[in-house]
Amino acid sequence: MHHRPAVEIKGLHYAYPDGTVALRGVDLLVEEGEAVGIVGPNGAGKSTLLLHLNGILAGRGEVRIFGLPVEKANLREIRRRVGLVFQDPDDQLFSPTVFDDVAFGPLNMGLSREEVAEAVSCALELVGLEGLEKRSAYHLSYGQKKRAAIATVLSMNPDLLVLDEPSSNLDPRARREFSELLQRTRITKILVTHDLPFVFENCERVVVMDGGRIVADGDVFSILSNEELLKKHGLELPYGFYPMHREMDGHRVEEDRG
Amino acid sequence: MKHAFLDEYSGLRSPIHQLDPRAKLVGFAALIVVCVTTPPNLYAAFAVYLGLELALLWLSRLPLRHVARRMLIVLPFILVVAAFLPFFSRGGGSYNLGPVRVSGHGLLVLWNVAAKSTVSVLAVILLSSTTPFPDLLRGMERLRVPRLLVALLSFTYRYIFVLVDEMQRMRRARDSRAWRGKWLWQSKVVGHMVAALFLRSYERGERVYAAMLARGYGGGMHTLYLYEPGIMEVGFASLVMLVPLAARIIL
Repeated sequence: MHHRPAVEIKGLHYAYPDGTVALRGVDLLVEEGEAVGIVGPNGAGKSTLLLHLNGILAGRGEVRIFGLPVEKANLREIRRRVGLVFQDPDDQLFSPTVFDDVAFGPLNMGLSREEVAEAVSCALELVGLEGLEKRSAYHLSYGQKKRAAIATVLSMNPDLLVLDEPSSNLDPRARREFSELLQRTRITKILVTHDLPFVFENCERVVVMDGGRIVADGDVFSILSNEELLKKHGLELPYGFYPMHREMDGHRVEEDRG
Repeated sequence: MKHAFLDEYSGLRSPIHQLDPRAKLVGFAALIVVCVTTPPNLYAAFAVYLGLELALLWLSRLPLRHVARRMLIVLPFILVVAAFLPFFSRGGGSYNLGPVRVSGHGLLVLWNVAAKSTVSVLAVILLSSTTPFPDLLRGMERLRVPRLLVALLSFTYRYIFVLVDEMQRMRRARDSRAWRGKWLWQSKVVGHMVAALFLRSYERGERVYAAMLARGYGGGMHTLYLYEPGIMEVGFASLVMLVPLAARIIL
C-alpha cells in the first residue's frame, strides 16, 4: 500500500516572541489515512507543533500539508483541509448559537446558503447534536461542547483532523462517545494528548515529543509497552493499565481506502 | 452554573415574536426617540405610548411577572436619583408638605424622568424578550450597524457568563482558604483577582482568534439571515412609529 503524505515537516524550529524555544528541529511524516497520537509531557512543544499545521504559527523549516507548502498563498486551502480543534471548547465555540458556530467555517469558505445549511445539519448529525442548532454553547454540557467543537470543523469537510487534548475533562461516558465519534470519522487524524489509553484506543502510531524534539516514533503497542521510554519522557500508563497486543482490524482506515 | 439569559422568553410563539427583528429594532428605537423628545407636559402623549406598549405586551403573551421583574431591576436606579429632585430643585412654584418644601419644577422633572424611563425600559424589555439575541444581532447587521459593534456585542453575549463563572470559581477558591482580614489586604486580593481575570480573558481572546483563523476567518463576519420582511413587518414598524408620532404632534 502506498499513500500520499498528508503532513510533511522538515527541520521545523520555533521560538515564541518572548524567546522561549518550543521546537528544536522537528521532522515528521504522516501519511493519508493514518491516525497518529502525539504524546509528551507539558511543555514538550506538542501544541506549538499543532499550530503549525494550518499556519497559525510559522517557524523556520518546511511544513507541507497534502503537498502544499504552508505559506500565505495557500492558507485558505490549507485551513479548509485541516480541521483544527482546540482544547477548550469555549474557545472554539464563540458564536451566539451552535448553528452559527458550525456555519462559521462554511460561510468563510463562501458556500451558498443552502450548502451551508446542508453542511451544518450533516456535521451536527455526525456528532449526534441534531436539534441543538439554536442553543447557545453556554448551555451545552461539557461533552456536548466537545462534540460541537468537532462539528465546527467537520462542516468544512476537512481531510485532516487535528485535535488538541481531545479527552481532557470528559467523564467516562462522554469520553466513550467521543472515542466512538473519532472512530466513525474516517479521515487522517492527529491527536495531541497525554491520555495514553485514549491514544491506545484511537491511534495506530504514536510519536513521543520532549524538549521540542521528536524522541520516538512507532506503532502504538511498541511505544506504550516500553516502560523505560515512557518514564524517561515524563509519561506513564495509568496504574493497572497494561497494553495488550490487539488485532488491528476493526478501526483501521487504511484498509478501507485500499 | 446557570444564569438567566438576557433574552429569556424570546423563544415563545406570538405575532410579535415572529416578526423580523429589523422591524422591531426600528419600531422600538423610533418609539424611544419620539418619547424622550416629548415635552413633559404632554401627559396624554405618554399615556398613548404606554398604552401602545401594553397592547404589544398583551399580544406578545409574555408573562407579566417576568416583565415586572425586569422593570424592577432597571427602574429603581433611575428613580432613586430623580426622587430627590423635587426637594432640592428651585422654581416653578412650590408647595409646602408639612415642614418640607417641594418645588413644582422639580416635580415636573421627576415626572419627566419617571415617564420617559418607564416607556423606554419597557420598550427595551419588549424588544429583548421577544427576539432571540442572536437574531437581534443579525438584524442589527442587516441594518448596517457597524460590524465591529455587532461583533463586540456578540462576543459579550457569548462570554459574559463564562467570565462570571470564572470569577465565581476564583471566589470559591479564595473563600475555601479562609479568606478574611483587614480591608486593605482584602482590596489587594480583589485587585489581584481582577488582574487575573483580565489576563485570562486576554489569553482567551487570543485563543478564540486562533480558532477563528483556523476556520478560514478573513476579516468579514458572515451570517445567515432567515427572516423575510413582509406585510406584518411593515405594519408593525409603521404602527409603532406613526402612532406615537401622531400622538406627539396632535395632542
